[in-house]
Formats: sequence, structure tokens, C-alpha cells
Amino acid sequence: MVVEVDRDKCIYCGACVGVCPKMAIVLEENVIKIDATKCVDCLICTKACPMNAIKKKEK
Amino acid sequence: MYDYDVIVVGAGPGGAFAAKEAALQGAKVLLVDRRKEIGAPVRCGEGLGAGIEKELNFKVPKEAIDAYINAAELYGPNGKKLELRTKDSKGYVIDRKKFDKFLVEEAARAGAEVLVKTRIDDLKKEGSKFVGVIGNSMGEKFEANAKVIIAADGGESLIARKAGINSLATLYESDFGVEYEMVGLDVKDAIEIYFSNVFAPRGYAWIFPKGKDSANVGVGVDGLHGNAIIFLKKFIEAYKERFKNAKIVAIKGGIIPVTMYIDELVKQNLMVIGEAAHQVDPIHGGGMALAMEAGSIAGKVAGTYVTQNKDLSYLQNYKKEWDKKERKTFEKRLKLRQVLEKMNDEDLNAIFNALNDEDLQKVIDGRYDIVVRKLTRILISRPSLVKVISVLLK
Repeated sequence: MVVEVDRDKCIYCGACVGVCPKMAIVLEENVIKIDATKCVDCLICTKACPMNAIKKKEK
Repeated sequence: MYDYDVIVVGAGPGGAFAAKEAALQGAKVLLVDRRKEIGAPVRCGEGLGAGIEKELNFKVPKEAIDAYINAAELYGPNGKKLELRTKDSKGYVIDRKKFDKFLVEEAARAGAEVLVKTRIDDLKKEGSKFVGVIGNSMGEKFEANAKVIIAADGGESLIARKAGINSLATLYESDFGVEYEMVGLDVKDAIEIYFSNVFAPRGYAWIFPKGKDSANVGVGVDGLHGNAIIFLKKFIEAYKERFKNAKIVAIKGGIIPVTMYIDELVKQNLMVIGEAAHQVDPIHGGGMALAMEAGSIAGKVAGTYVTQNKDLSYLQNYKKEWDKKERKTFEKRLKLRQVLEKMNDEDLNAIFNALNDEDLQKVIDGRYDIVVRKLTRILISRPSLVKVISVLLK
């Protein structure tokens, strides 16, 4: 999985959950969890995030 | 074998209305919400038109009203203002935490059971029927069966998708919103809407008063031009004089589907309402009133279905009633959206300059032909706009 959530920026709004085509993202109370086994690295969540809190990991 | 007649997943305004109406029909209802506190975190501009009170026969409680709104002001990219100040523009900016809790209390008073901090992860299926929900309630595994399941889980819309309904939000057909609640700025008795491709491509920026000197200040933009927060900063920079003493006291955000509502509002014994069903106004992105309306219809239909032992096909009445009430309006509003999002700032400026407040009312009423006629002179000098605007006349 190439994305990661910056928990310091995330406001738990759930926009990423709604756009994830693989239902790989779950919003729990104050935690965004991305299931690496479902994620297909499409990066849609990085574009949808209003807070720019999901980023492609730096190599 | 059934624990409940109706389980409603998601206790926003739509879910609360659905639970209340189903309970009033005499159904045994459970309303669950993922969050520990109803209404929080807020992810909404919090504007609500007053018309919905009459429509659904309820009153917004005074303590949930932060500001009374009399008008809507629309600003073109060059600052030209068009104002709507009629009975249609009356409304409130509400406190979602208080408002949502009030509606859930109403559902509870009507007889619905309520469970907070209860997350639904999946549907239980038997053949093609959905017999219940599986999840986690306050740390314990949770499972409950019901005759009808109402998915009111907001923009994430996971329940509908688990049921095989296509309710995925796309980057193109959604707006992604972020807003600051700010204190220390001048506000009016109006909501303010700002159009600009610089700070709100394919969306708009807003200032919704929250009090004497406070407001929700936000932008909603599509997912293709950059993250919303970048544009909110640009908006505040563009009007920095207005915001020079303003302090941020809260940040809110969320996803706003701005497309046709989903086709499959009912699948077997599962109903989808509100933002989960993309029942959001495609022009202003408002979802509360439509969600409550849908919840009210779906709740009544579900309640009647279980208490009067109707056939499964009876549940389709929710879709039928909704289509009858809203499909035409949605189609009209979507046309307007298509036109608006294709315009550059010069086009928008020319149109704002050519129209007056009365024309704005006509646009809101869907009387596009009259307004387009008034734009003839602009269209002659802007041939590229003719094709864009002609959509409104089809």
C-alpha cells in the first residue's frame, strides 16, 4: 500500500471512505483505517481528502 | 427470529426522521450510530431552509438555531452581487450537534430504541434478502435481525455498497468541503455564496453566519483540482480585509455528492436515504432537508409494511413517492449545475452583470427560458457559451 494518513491533519470527515472504490477505508471514532489487503493504490482518497491528510508515502 | 421490525443505520437528520416515522406507525425500531455523540463531529455548512418545517410538520427548536437567515447573496467572481430576499430565502443556520440530538430524542420519544457508538460493518444475508446487520457496539460484537433495514449512513454509504448498490462517490460528481468556524468578522442576515474558478473550481465558497460576529466559512470543490483546504486558504486570502480579525474556532469537512440520486433507492428489504443515496441538492449541496424528507417517506413506508403485513413490493412506494416529488427538480437543477461548472470567470462575470435579483428568483424557480432570453446579447459576443447554456432549454 502506497498511501498513509497524517493523523495530525485528519478531521475524521469520512470523505475518503465515500470515494474508495474498494471499501478499503473505515472511519472509526477518531481513527481512519486503511486495509492494505484491499487497497489498490488508486490514490483517489489522496485527491478527495479536504484536508490533504492522505499522502503517497515517500520512498 | 426478528429482533426489530426496522433497523436504521445512521442517526443524522434523515435516519432520525426515518426511525421516528416508522415508530409512529407502531413498528419496533432500532436507530444506531457509529459515533459516541450524535451530531459530532459536524461536517456541514449547517444551513437549513425554513420551508422544511411546514413540509414535515415540525419546528426547529430555538436552542438549535444559531442565526436567523432572511436572504441569500450570490457573488460573481468580480464581486457583482445578486440577492434573493423572499419567503423562499428564509431559514436558519443551525447547531448540528443540538439539532441532530433533538431529532434523535424525538425518534426515541416516538418509541425507537437508540444505540450510539455502534458501528455496522456488514449485512446478514439469506438468499437475496437482507436479514440483519453485524458490527460492534461499545466494544462488543453486535448482531441484530430486522424485517427492513434503512441505510442512512451518510456520504460513506457503506451499507448500500455492501448490499451491491452502486452508490460510490466519484471525484468528478462530488464536492469535497472544508470550513472554518470563525469568530471576529462582520456577518449579515444572509448566507453569502461566492463563485470563482480561482478559489472554488466547479463549486463555491460560502459564509454562513453562526452568530453576531461568527460564521461558517467554507469551500466545496470537486476532487480534480486539488484538496479543498488549499482553496479555502485562497478564498480567505482573496477577502483578507473581511477576515483580518477573524479567528478559527473549529474545522469541519466532508463529502457532498452533487449528482443524480441513486437509482436503486430500494433493494429487496433495504432502503437507502439521504446523503448515502446522493439525495443532495446538486446546486447548493444542501442535504439535510432532502434527507429528512426521504427519511420521513421511507420510515412511513417501512412502518406500514411491517405493521400491516404488506408484500415486499410495497417498499418500492418509497422510491415511487420520492421520484414523483423530486426527480423533475433534480433533473432541472443538474442541468443548471452542468452549465455553471463549464463557465470560466469571464463568462460568470458577464452573466452576473446581465442579471438582476428578480432574474435570480426565476433561475431558482427553474424558469430558465426567460433568463436565457435576457442573456441573448451576451451570447452573441460569446459563441462558445451558446452551446453550454442551450442545455438549459432542452
